[in-house]
Amino acid sequence: MTANNRSTNRALVDNVVLPMIFLTVVLLGGLRVDAENRTFIFVAPPLVTLFLGVLLMLLLVRGRLIRFPQWVRNELPPLTNIVHIWMFITLFFASVQAFNSVLPERGLLHWLFSFFFLWTLWNNQFSSFDPPRLLRSLAILFGTAFVLKHILLASLFSPEGGWLKRIAGTLLQGVSLGTLDEPNFAPATGYICFFTLALYVAGLILVGFAGRDEADPVVHPVIEEYQLPAADDLAVRDGAE
Amino acid sequence: MRRMQSKIIQVTGLAFTIAYAVLIVWLYATEPRTFKEAATSVEVAAGTYQVNQEKFNSALDLFQREQFRAARDEWQRADPARGDARTQFYIAYSFYREGWGRLYYDQQLFKQGLEAVNRAIALASASPLSVDDPNLRMHSAAELKAELEQGTERSWSDVNPLKVLRTRK
Repeated sequence: MTANNRSTNRALVDNVVLPMIFLTVVLLGGLRVDAENRTFIFVAPPLVTLFLGVLLMLLLVRGRLIRFPQWVRNELPPLTNIVHIWMFITLFFASVQAFNSVLPERGLLHWLFSFFFLWTLWNNQFSSFDPPRLLRSLAILFGTAFVLKHILLASLFSPEGGWLKRIAGTLLQGVSLGTLDEPNFAPATGYICFFTLALYVAGLILVGFAGRDEADPVVHPVIEEYQLPAADDLAVRDGAE
Repeated sequence: MRRMQSKIIQVTGLAFTIAYAVLIVWLYATEPRTFKEAATSVEVAAGTYQVNQEKFNSALDLFQREQFRAARDEWQRADPARGDARTQFYIAYSFYREGWGRLYYDQQLFKQGLEAVNRAIALASASPLSVDDPNLRMHSAAELKAELEQGTERSWSDVNPLKVLRTRK
């Protein structure tokens, strides 16, 4: 009975919860609220975010957070494969929109942020990651971008700020010859972005756990590397902890 | 039994999430600015959208009293989704009447009128749009469009002094 419940819950998470989480990230990632009349603005993902999304997907595969060969393989029923591929598609677009939510909309800052994302993701392709470490790294990457865009920059360019903030914003604009042009959004945009990123990271954590059931006993890199039997799994994990 | 249950979850989950994805694509395509606009767009997509007749009549009354801006405001409130061909025709007509002058036409208003009449024509693509209103001198959208286009074009006839004898339609 417990195994049955576990299997049902696992199926619910993999087939319903995860795609729903990622699709919600897709929906909210491009949503902004206008500062003046509090209306919605839907920002389609810029082209660079698609490239960042591809790099991030590669990193997720390399970091063994997505165990692609175990999710999509010949032995599984076609429907299961289709469902898993659909989940990966939603994950890809969620990654694209997660970048869209933390990238400044235009100007020099947009390209600076894009460049730093590209640099970080490209470097990470050649680092050795395990799923928890990769998750921490991504949480910090998105967290830093969130703080920079929605707290620091939003505060600098806010028309409601104090005179010191306005002077700093004007100075920055002047020094950069007006290339640091950043549209003003309502504070709600920051809250939406925070919720979006939290949801995205939660989705990634769930994906990380998705491989840890009875049908997929190989989890630890050592077990995977040496193809150890499932009986040694616990011993290796205990040793690692 | 377990396999069957898993299959049901997979099929239901797939159908449900694909529907959700379609909704998201549609939201990004239509870009509603408020929840109310989103609800109106849903009505348009479902084919249940109708203009607010009370506001439409009140706008028509304003139009007949030559209060064109107020009439347009009221028509825009009556048809927030810009989904009714007849209302868009009247909006275009109000731009025409307000922009018409004996000596010159207001280009800005005529251009906006042209946009509105194009919307009306697009909405009534199945059959040519014609409005039976005895207070109007142009009844079809094609006539109104031609008049608005003529007003936005520059030609030698613009310097013809007999132009002042023209009448507003």
